[in-house]
Amino acid sequence: MRKILISALCIIAVLYSCGKKDSSVTLPDGSLDKCTLRFSWWGGDDRHEATLKAIELWNSIHPDIEIKPEYGGWDGWSEKINTQISSGTEADIMQINYDWLVTLSPDGTGFYDLNKLDDFLDLSGFRDDVLSFGNVNGHLNAVAVSVSGRGLFYNSKVFERLGVEYPSTWDELVGLGKTFGEHGLYPLDLDIQSGGTAWYLAVVYVQQKTGNNFIDMNGNLGFSVENLQTALDFYKLLEDNHVIRNVRTRTDSDGNAALYQSPEFINGNIAGVLEWGSAVGKYESVLEEGVLEAGDFLKDDSGNSGGWFVKPSLLYAISANTKYPDESAEFIDFLLNNEECADILGTSRGIPASSYAEKRLESTGKIAGLVQENYEMLESMDTVTISPYMELARMKEFYNDAIEKVSYKLADTHEVAQELYNNINDYLESLK
Amino acid sequence: MKKFFVYLVLTVIALIMLYPLLWLVGASFKSNREIYSSIWFMPEKFDFEVYAKAWKTNTGYTMGHYFLNTFAVIVPKTVFAVVSSVLTAYGFARFDFPLKKFFFSMLMGGMFMPSIVTIMPMYIMWGKLGFLDSYVPLTLPSLFACEGMFVFMLIQFFRRLPKELDEAARIDGCGTFRTLFYVLIPCIKPAVISVAVFNFLWTMNDFLNPLIFINSTEKYTLSLALRTSVDSTGQGYEECKVIAMSVIGLIPSIAVFAAAQKKFISGITVGGIS
Amino acid sequence: MKKNYHNSVGVGKYTGLVLISPFIAGFFIFILYPFVCSFVTGMTNYDNIHQPEFVGFENYINMFSDSDFINAVGVTLKYTLLFVPLKIIVSLFTALLLSLEIKGIGIFRTVFYIPSVLGANLAVVIMWQYLFTRNGLVNQFLEIIGISPVSWYGNPDCSIFIIILLRLWEFGSAMVIFLTALRDIPKEYYDAAKVDGCGKVKSFFLITLPLLKNVIFMNIVLQTISALQEFNAPYMITHGEPLNNTYTVGMLIYDEMFKYYNAGYANAVSWVLFMLTAIVVFIMFRITGRLKEEMQ
Repeated sequence: MRKILISALCIIAVLYSCGKKDSSVTLPDGSLDKCTLRFSWWGGDDRHEATLKAIELWNSIHPDIEIKPEYGGWDGWSEKINTQISSGTEADIMQINYDWLVTLSPDGTGFYDLNKLDDFLDLSGFRDDVLSFGNVNGHLNAVAVSVSGRGLFYNSKVFERLGVEYPSTWDELVGLGKTFGEHGLYPLDLDIQSGGTAWYLAVVYVQQKTGNNFIDMNGNLGFSVENLQTALDFYKLLEDNHVIRNVRTRTDSDGNAALYQSPEFINGNIAGVLEWGSAVGKYESVLEEGVLEAGDFLKDDSGNSGGWFVKPSLLYAISANTKYPDESAEFIDFLLNNEECADILGTSRGIPASSYAEKRLESTGKIAGLVQENYEMLESMDTVTISPYMELARMKEFYNDAIEKVSYKLADTHEVAQELYNNINDYLESLK
Repeated sequence: MKKFFVYLVLTVIALIMLYPLLWLVGASFKSNREIYSSIWFMPEKFDFEVYAKAWKTNTGYTMGHYFLNTFAVIVPKTVFAVVSSVLTAYGFARFDFPLKKFFFSMLMGGMFMPSIVTIMPMYIMWGKLGFLDSYVPLTLPSLFACEGMFVFMLIQFFRRLPKELDEAARIDGCGTFRTLFYVLIPCIKPAVISVAVFNFLWTMNDFLNPLIFINSTEKYTLSLALRTSVDSTGQGYEECKVIAMSVIGLIPSIAVFAAAQKKFISGITVGGIS
Repeated sequence: MKKNYHNSVGVGKYTGLVLISPFIAGFFIFILYPFVCSFVTGMTNYDNIHQPEFVGFENYINMFSDSDFINAVGVTLKYTLLFVPLKIIVSLFTALLLSLEIKGIGIFRTVFYIPSVLGANLAVVIMWQYLFTRNGLVNQFLEIIGISPVSWYGNPDCSIFIIILLRLWEFGSAMVIFLTALRDIPKEYYDAAKVDGCGKVKSFFLITLPLLKNVIFMNIVLQTISALQEFNAPYMITHGEPLNNTYTVGMLIYDEMFKYYNAGYANAVSWVLFMLTAIVVFIMFRITGRLKEEMQ
């Protein structure tokens, strides 16, 4: 009996360790071979349709290299990719999220190094700062498909009715609370759920004010305890001045629904939202057409508009285990730079970061609306690149817990800031 | 009068139970704005084109395709689960054998572990065997009576039958299997049917397992297909189309339950249950 | 020592083993193998990416200082204690109602099961939002009967009831099991009781309950197991908020596994949940004396 048990354990151990991926990397051979490549992405209908059409176009150009699409909605997608990567069964080409660079490739070896594939992948259309997004530890792990920033969008009807202008400075924003409060309305909404906009705006405020960056690209905390406290105090100030609902009021009236699903927003009781330019469409669609307008990125009184973030909304990466790196690179090049492909894909993944695709779309007039306004404003500003570490789920949990504590008045902001400081530092340390 | 009261109570509860479904059907005709701003189920206008769109899905395949996929999982899975659970439960309920205590504890223990942590080792195993992106990981386990709940449930129903029933069958010359098929199963038929129905409904709603094991959209089951259009990180989507898809997707489940509900209370009953 | 196996005449001691042989084979592949993997992983710092390192019982020791974990255990136990008795009462009551042989009862049975079919449907999420928000239907109703409105989502003490009510509303499966068992009770029993002058209520306690005892027990066990693992309802409806007051152990395991890339810890917590469930179920078998019966 014992023998059987031991041998069974051995088999299990072997099976389990087999699940680990092979460390040998296929090197580029410089020519395109006949093969089948798996390409995985998540998205909605528009993106699926456009991408499937782009794959058709690809197949007509490269009949030897078949692309097998694997796509789905966002729900559960990261769980799926996580499972695949940890057992080495992921697709050859993947659309990835920014923070996956840290979680799935902490030392830069989790994805294929695209620097090795420059024979096939033309990166001349990308600005250096955009390329640096995909750089982990000296390895180019991914290329940004599009770049996006969070901006403020307002319900123009409500502002008109109250006879107020969109704010352009922080003080003006705080001042709005009074006017709106008199009518029982709020000029803005910040959340502590998946969006995490409450902490985001507070960080931008402190970054602009102090010139310190919250977390750097290598995962070091740049804020002091005082900076964190300033951020929390600023959040509290917004609550106290009726600029935003406090956490409890918000949950009581919306449950845990996103703002675009909230009757309060749809009926105009909440007149503003902080959202990625690439995701604002869902807020537009629940209001009457043209009602949602882009506002300014807030400045301080001296006109300093620094501190606002940009980040790659999506990136393409190649599996470290792929047998066909050249072919995969060629396909990514096609998706990013090919003009005909750009026509098909349009802005289904945001405004392309590749200048070739962007120019093509501009010339055909496909870039328009709030996305464009938001994008152009950001282009003209001195922005901060968001660190992938800031986007980690655990970090978001820390911020949201801190904001919740402040909002429910469970501790004073200094205490909460100190705890937040320790939590963030301990966690970042543990990732190294 | 008393009857009237019973119907009144039933109707009131039924309305509470039914309202979300009613709302769901109504919402399939609404704009996103309407959906999120009112709990009232009646849409401003009816436009049945949404159902045509929903059937087409825009995910590359029609709902018909996803239905067939789903049934390709559900049918074998349900058959496997029923056969293996009945046999195993029969063994536990009616026979004494070596290591019975051990295996019964294992049966129960199998239910205590959150399935999230067992999915990774299973994924690795199916990967080694070359069965990823196929229906084998979704159906084959059912052949081995691994749904502890079904076995446990059937054991309890077997136990309610008097042992004299088996003895009598044996005296009449029935063997182990004949006793099971001709004597015992007819008596617990409702319980067996409820196992099949539960298995059907839960498989229909199962999202995590198909998500992890199936890669090709071509092989997606309905529960996956429903979320293929949903991108909460993006520019938003037409909620009504997804809702219309889910309304269509609910039809088989409700139909199966409606057809089976009569069977829960019919069948041969035996007196003197323990 | 030679053990006597109590089987019918002519039945060997291995017949039972043959019958459960699919389960035995399945046990090795689908239970033992993943369990051992999980146990081994629970002893490592595995993060789904790096080669795991053996850390012994560190994960288990860390749990004692993890306030999220301790909180989640509390929430889960509280939820289970509140939920299971209510669920049994509600599902038994509706089963009694639906076992009435009146015209159109089949339609009612189907309709009553619909919430359980809906599962995690979007409609449920949106409906629960409309019901329990500040101006939601439940509060409007409370106002009519003169109770001041409750802050369901925002008040840390109330949010658990949103989850409980959702799960109670989905009483279908437990109800079906009761329904199936109820039909076995011969009508003559009730007729005889009526002759003896027993009312409906009295015959329920004297006949129905005792004859349903093993099915009630079974339902309690099954509901307890699923309540201790509750994940989906708080994940969908409350996201564990506010202040983590609906954050269950099931959610914690999921988050550690897939959101925080902490598979080693997630597996260790799963084993603690496993032991907890095992102890609770064992006590249930023990105090009801079912343990002996089950082993006969």
